[in-house]
Amino acid sequence: MRDQRLRTWILAIAVTMLMACYPFRGAAAGADPDPPMFVFNAFGTLGVVHSSDSQADFTSSDLKPDGAGYSHRWSADVDSRFGAQLTANITSQLSAVLQLVTEQNYANSYRPEVEWANIKYQLTPDFDVRIGRIELPVFLVSDARKVGFANPWVRPPVEVYDTEPLTNNDGVDLSYRLHLGEATTTLAAEYGSTYRVDFPLDMSAEAHDLRALIIKTEYGAALFNLSYLAAHVTLDPTIALFPAYRELGAAGEAIAQTYELVNKLATIVSAGASYDPGKWFATAEWMQFDSRSFVGVSTGWYLSGGYRIAKFTPFLTYSALTVSPTSSAGVDASALPASQAGVALALNAGLNQALGQRPAQRTLAAGARWDFARDLDLKLQIDHTRLGRGSPGELINLQPGFRFGGTVNLFSAAIDFVF
Amino acid sequence: MKCVGFILIGLACSLAGGAATADVVAVVSANSPITALSKNQLLDIFLGRASRYPDGTPALPLDQAEGSAVRDEFYTRVAGQSAAQIKAYWSKIIFTGRGQPPPTVSNDAEAKKRIRDNPAAIGYIDRAMVDDSVRIVF
Repeated sequence: MRDQRLRTWILAIAVTMLMACYPFRGAAAGADPDPPMFVFNAFGTLGVVHSSDSQADFTSSDLKPDGAGYSHRWSADVDSRFGAQLTANITSQLSAVLQLVTEQNYANSYRPEVEWANIKYQLTPDFDVRIGRIELPVFLVSDARKVGFANPWVRPPVEVYDTEPLTNNDGVDLSYRLHLGEATTTLAAEYGSTYRVDFPLDMSAEAHDLRALIIKTEYGAALFNLSYLAAHVTLDPTIALFPAYRELGAAGEAIAQTYELVNKLATIVSAGASYDPGKWFATAEWMQFDSRSFVGVSTGWYLSGGYRIAKFTPFLTYSALTVSPTSSAGVDASALPASQAGVALALNAGLNQALGQRPAQRTLAAGARWDFARDLDLKLQIDHTRLGRGSPGELINLQPGFRFGGTVNLFSAAIDFVF
Repeated sequence: MKCVGFILIGLACSLAGGAATADVVAVVSANSPITALSKNQLLDIFLGRASRYPDGTPALPLDQAEGSAVRDEFYTRVAGQSAAQIKAYWSKIIFTGRGQPPPTVSNDAEAKKRIRDNPAAIGYIDRAMVDDSVRIVF
């Protein structure tokens, strides 16, 4: 954890120093001036959420420790955040960006984090390379998921977006833009070495050798996105079940190998499309996350559409998340000595509980965005979520009175701004 | 219920407040080799998806001031999008460090002057302001 923090600071300082190199910027040539040296932008959301279920918390990300429902009747932590960004155009080819975001983090604090800190070199007008902390644009709106103003909803559907809560990565990416007729296709490849992310309850996950490929095509009002991401992922600490399984010999070892999330190749494949001719929009996205562990294979998708009436954009979204496997035969207790059989049965029960409680849910959401002033919007949204059979869905902090597989209604209100 | 009433009043005001529309055209310098652009080509240049004209020469788009009628009309006509939608689009690009919107000029006269002086420049002005220093491309 300390290494990561140190690296974050080194990155931020390196980018800042590079930004400070402006005296070396060449004199402007031609009649039109270069873009301004420094550009400051900021974005933010102030939001509140109410959940009908007081026995569990709804959060917008796995990285958050609590939310609306059990911990707070109304929670401002779910969607509120503030981000500030400094962009430096050092030469016409070289630029740097530093973005800090403050939002509720795993430790329930609002300590600002370095969201992006990277240096971009534009080799040709259509080919660039970036190094540093860069976005991880797995899904259609991944790169702008924290910028409420950029999206029609209060938050992107959690059935897809909460599967991959990471928004950035330390590494390098190459982006090449192709113009085929009137279509613009961007091919991007990203590589990251090691990245550690902290979750609540002293859990963390480490990803290494992250590789991602993204193909995005824009044609008039249509946008298509295909992506593939692969990384070796380790959950730290591991689930106590697995060392215990290993005590049971070869059969237990096999179970641990199958389900333990230690150095497993996790992959995400996604496909998305949106069409926005102005008066209305429609967007759909599908993704599959394969963890090759007890976390399972998650498949999420959503369909969303909206119609614009002057400054109002009412919308409807249907989203679903399924997971498999939800059970396991575990080790064959009858094949073990009597002294181990009882332990094996208990471990099998624990494994099945873990598998059975992976998030599965479906949500119908209705809401509206109102662009009531320049650079400001107000959104209201109602979510009706049906949890998968025996599943807590994406809810956390489950209390003894919580009903697995039940339904939950959310009411959200948010104001977004950019400047 | 108070909230719903509030929204309905807002909706009514928005619908009533339709702005008078000007006839806006996209123009380049009379010295530019560009003679015409399609709607998509124009959109790609103004939305930062293309940094060059179809013939491969660099393009320098110039926006008019935010909130100006000519700007709103241009994006409504070319992209079918309101000022808020264009702002939302740029928010996506800006906050990934992928780019910045075109530089802005304060009025038609300044747009025309900048375009006349630079064959790479492209902007949009009220049709009534067009003279022989610029060429309509859309």
